[in-house]
Amino acid sequence: MYWNGGAERLFGYSAAEALGNSIDALIVPHGHVDDLDQYRREALATGFSTFETARLRKDGSLVYTVVSNKAVYDTEGRAEFIVITQKDVTHIKVLRDAKLVESQYRDLLESTPDAIIMANQTGRIVLANSQAETLFGYERGEMLGALVDVLLPGRYRGSHVGHRSGYFGQPRTRSMGAGLELYGLRKDGSEFPVEISLSPLTTDGGTLVMSAIRDISSRKAIESALQEKNVELERANQAKDRFLASMSHELRTPLNGIIGFAEFLSDGKPGPLNDKQKEYLGDILNSGRHLLHLINDMLDLVKIQAGRVDLALEQFSIRDAIREVCTGVHPLAVSKAIELTVNIDAGIGFVTLDEQRFKQILYNLLSNALKFTDDHGHVAIDVTPAGEDRFRMVVSDDGIGIRAEDISRLFTEFEQLETGTSRRFGGTGLGLALTRKLVESHGGAIDVDSEFGKGSRFGVLLPLAMKGKAS
Amino acid sequence: MNGARILIVDDNKTNLKLASDVLAFEGYKILNASDAESAQEIIRKTPPDLILMDIALPGMDGLTLTRLLKLDESTRRIVVVALTASAMKGDDARAREAGCDGYITKPIDTRTFPNVVAAYLRARGGDA
Repeated sequence: MYWNGGAERLFGYSAAEALGNSIDALIVPHGHVDDLDQYRREALATGFSTFETARLRKDGSLVYTVVSNKAVYDTEGRAEFIVITQKDVTHIKVLRDAKLVESQYRDLLESTPDAIIMANQTGRIVLANSQAETLFGYERGEMLGALVDVLLPGRYRGSHVGHRSGYFGQPRTRSMGAGLELYGLRKDGSEFPVEISLSPLTTDGGTLVMSAIRDISSRKAIESALQEKNVELERANQAKDRFLASMSHELRTPLNGIIGFAEFLSDGKPGPLNDKQKEYLGDILNSGRHLLHLINDMLDLVKIQAGRVDLALEQFSIRDAIREVCTGVHPLAVSKAIELTVNIDAGIGFVTLDEQRFKQILYNLLSNALKFTDDHGHVAIDVTPAGEDRFRMVVSDDGIGIRAEDISRLFTEFEQLETGTSRRFGGTGLGLALTRKLVESHGGAIDVDSEFGKGSRFGVLLPLAMKGKAS
Repeated sequence: MNGARILIVDDNKTNLKLASDVLAFEGYKILNASDAESAQEIIRKTPPDLILMDIALPGMDGLTLTRLLKLDESTRRIVVVALTASAMKGDDARAREAGCDGYITKPIDTRTFPNVVAAYLRARGGDA
């Protein structure tokens, strides 16, 4: 093989580097499909053949060349060798491709909102719409013939050459650098984040690649602002958690002394008490327990409102759970001589819910019913199926009932109805708000039906088996 | 049974007195410490059968002391029950992780408290 100075200038390899190598391995782009042998056979048979193709330079860039194969014969007419002449027509090819797409696509591409750039196989820009020129800060027509690589920050160029030849090997419509952060480079050297989608375009002059480029600076700015906001929110949430934990700790510590000593004293452990002393100690005890209840309900409510309740879902016997809650309120029912009846449909046995939360829901409804029912009244729990996969639990009483205008305020925090009911009936004013949240966190619903002076019915609709989202 | 020796560690004097008096009433021998360091001193001199351990203490906290006790061959058999006003989710798991055998939250129920303590002592007896 002979390698002249022109070849060195065109391909970048010196004669010393080139000689001894197969010309195909050296300058034919990877994955390129030219039928070189056929052109060489043609040259040997007819003395001459010519074709146009892309060729690889030492620096990895592509040039477009016209290849001429000329057979040289010895004195006996046998082909001795082939003179291969490669003429660099990269620029001519750009102009030809540009002319081809200009007439077909220019008008169309000017009307799209995106910046569009078309490049040919050698990576030269053959068409850029004015949106692209504006985006990258170039004058009209200035981008024509430039390597698309100049639109990329330097750090991406090396790998881009490889990606580009890879793309021509398997051209299809896709977004570029999926999952990567891509940047465009303006003429003035500034960078901006972009989103690029690539599609191949088959023309008479070969395959071109069309890139639609979108400046995503503002989206990125919004994303990062959102992310900062999220971090801030998370930090605020953690601060709130710490505050709640320390508030809970600080309030429980003195309550331990108040409730504990009052209880110990009123049980007469240190010595006998007279009736007044017992009564007053009972008052201290009730106030202390009320305060404790309030703290617990408030912490629960805050957690639920923040959507951070982890339900511990498990299968349990609804009958047993209801019995346990009834046992808990039994003393109150007995002290007011209220008759408590329980009816559970035989078809409902086991349910899958957060058992503690279920008991809390029933306890809240039941203690309300007992509280707002006069002595010798009636309170009932009825559990019936509701459709295929739910059940309905109704707690009804024949107590004081609720005025129609008050019903809407019922499930709101710190809304105890009627001035003075708090004093008369106790309670935190958080119970029903919390109950509703607990029911809703199970994907259920709560409703109330009441007639003032006649009694109330609180119904909860719950799934028989709550799915997923286990803690 | 009720001759068992119980060390109560709590930096709050009122709460220390409450737990002490309620358990003393049941006949237990009560030792008091208001911080982890003086608790260590008492444990070395007169090892108790059970420790009621407050978690938030000045200086070394209750969970650190529990870890030390559970690592030491001579003290690891002492039953340690956390007695704390930390009642948030995860607090009990942290206490057990540190080696506490039980967990009681404040405010205590003085009516059931002695029974709960007795149950922890019995459980220890069963293991031995």
